[in-house]
Formats: sequence, C-alpha cells, structure tokens
Amino acid sequence: MTESIKLVFSNFPYVVLASVIFVGLLIPLLIISEYIFLEPFLIGHIAADRELGFVLIIVVSALSGLVVSMNVFRIRLMRMSKKKMGGSVFGSVIGSVAGVCGCGPLGFAIISTFGSIGGVAFSFLTTYEIPLRLAAIGFLAFVYYTTTKSLKIECQLNNNK
Amino acid sequence: MSKKGIIVGGIAAAVIIGIIASYSTTQFDSETLNLDMGRTHGTISTAMGSPILGNPSAPITIVEFGDYQCSQCYNWFQNTKPQIIENLIDTGKANLVFVDLAFLGRDSIPAAAASYCAEEQGKYWEYHDLLYYSQQRIDDGWANSERLKAFAFSLDLDMEMFDSCVDSGKFSKRVQFNTAEAGKQGATSTPTFFIINSEGEQQKISGAQPFSVFKDVVDSLT
Repeated sequence: MTESIKLVFSNFPYVVLASVIFVGLLIPLLIISEYIFLEPFLIGHIAADRELGFVLIIVVSALSGLVVSMNVFRIRLMRMSKKKMGGSVFGSVIGSVAGVCGCGPLGFAIISTFGSIGGVAFSFLTTYEIPLRLAAIGFLAFVYYTTTKSLKIECQLNNNK
Repeated sequence: MSKKGIIVGGIAAAVIIGIIASYSTTQFDSETLNLDMGRTHGTISTAMGSPILGNPSAPITIVEFGDYQCSQCYNWFQNTKPQIIENLIDTGKANLVFVDLAFLGRDSIPAAAASYCAEEQGKYWEYHDLLYYSQQRIDDGWANSERLKAFAFSLDLDMEMFDSCVDSGKFSKRVQFNTAEAGKQGATSTPTFFIINSEGEQQKISGAQPFSVFKDVVDSLT
C-alpha cells in the first residue's frame, strides 16, 4: 500500500493538492465545529469532552486529502473511470457535514430558512456526529484500499505492456 | 332598608367584587408583573430575559443567548460557567443574564417557557441548571411536557401552579420576544455572549469559548 502512496506523492503537484484539500477541509471544519474561534480574537479551544470529535475531523481531512489526490492521479495518468473519484468525494462530504453543529451560524441559517425540515436534518447531523464521522472514515478507508489495489494492478499492467 | 338602598348597595358590592376580580386576574395572567420592562444592558433589551444572577449593580453584565437543547451551550455551562461564577460573579465583578434564543427544535420553546414558570416560584436558576444537567439529544423527549413537569417536581415547586403555567403556554410569547431580540442583536448561533460595561460599551463573544477569553474581554472593558 505504501508503494501506491510513494508512486503518487513522488509527484510534487499531488503533495500540494493533498495538502490543499487537507487544510481546506480542516480549517473550515474546525471553525464550524467551534474548535477555532475568530471572534473577539483568534483562539483554538478543545473542551474536555470534545477530543474525539477533534481527532475525527483531523482523520477525515487527512484521508480526504490522500484519497482524492490519489484518485486524481489515477484518472489523469491512467485515464481510468471517474467512478472511484465520486466515492472519495462522497466520503469527504459525509465526513464534513457530520456534526456541522446545529447550534452554529450555519445551523441557525438553515433552520431559519427551511423551518422544521432543516431542523430535523441538522438535529440528525448534530446528534449522530461521531457515528457519521466514523462511517465516513470507514468509507474513505475502503476507497483508499480499492484505489491502492487498482493502482497496483494498473501499474503492473502498464509495465507489462 | 329601603328598596333603593338595597339596589345601590348591590351595585356597590358588584363594582367592588368586579375591581377585586379584575385585579386578581391581572396579577395571575400578566407576564410583566415581576419584570422590569425597561431593563436594558447596552443595546440589548433583557426585560424578558432571566433574573440577574449575581450583583445587579456589578460593573459588567454578561448576556448569554442560549437554547436548552444546544450541546455547545451545555459545553459552556459545564466547562466555562463555573469559572465565570467563581471568578467574576461571586466576586461582584460581573453579573449574568440568560436570554433565550430557542430555535433548535420543537421542545426548545416549551423548555425555555417552563424556566419562567419556575421563576414565578422563585426558582429560575435552579430550573435553568437542571435543564442543562438533564440535556440529551435534540427533541428526543428529554424536554417534553411530562419531563418539564418532573423537573419542577424534583425542585419542590407548587405543581398545580407549574402545570397550569406550562399547559397554558403562558410564557411562549416571552421566549419568542427573546429570540427576536437575539436576531436584532445579530446573534445567529448559540451560545452567543455580549459583555457590557456600565458605560454601555459591549463586546460580542460567539461560541462556547474558554474562561480566558471572557476574562480578557471583561478586563478590557473594566
């Protein structure tokens, strides 16, 4: 499995892509989930019983960066189908929207706009934050596994040609 | 006694009974009887909010906009509020007012309204704390009518009075007023705090931030 990572990330643009996806997902998620506060001044804070949520956000962001950039590599260099790309984006989205706290500004805006339906959706996302993030991690791990497997086979085939 | 005297006496008695009845009805139904309708802190009307926790003449007031079903409000209640009470409220540096921003679920407004039913019996803050200690998932039934009454029972409140208050939805409009006030102040998440000094200067803090942030803001406004 590490061979696939080496293969992809020996190309510098993919290191940059993975880093951009990781940071681009991590920072907004930490702000939305209220681990980073911007007002009245910039501060990070992890409350005593919220460490698990924090760790899961980091894992989801890291896996998203890894899996999405590996799939971009696969599509661009191997000219393969975009099926797995959809899977990795789906996993990232699930991991991102889970726990988008209903207490936050986003929740307030959605509930105010969509009323009880928005309330039910946000209540679900908030209530099942941890299980949803775990599911997203499981899904991204599965996509990572199938991607590395497919990269290995495809590379072998290309080398044999 | 003449016939005329009986009629005049009857009318006078009816008028007196009417005045007494009207006075007692006003006392029973009015939400505003025990409220300072002009109470404001900075630009915020807190007239319909909670009673003041701490010294009313403290130089700093912390106004919290919150929802009893909000998990981040619980985080603040559990992790930061004890330090606020110990270091700012008990020392007379600040006082606290809770104003409802009840939007998260269908049980949010009844829970907030029930806290004012407890206030009628002088136990607002005890009921407020009990609601947060009892918080579970949004709208999973932890704050339904039966549970709200059970909380009151555990605080030894007069249940006849409390039940009647909760069942009539007596304080629903008060909660709605508070939620509208939150909107006017630009509070779009819970918890949102405004720290206000005696000159009316105010600073907003969004989210369940740590005590150090509150201390810094209070120090800067003192």
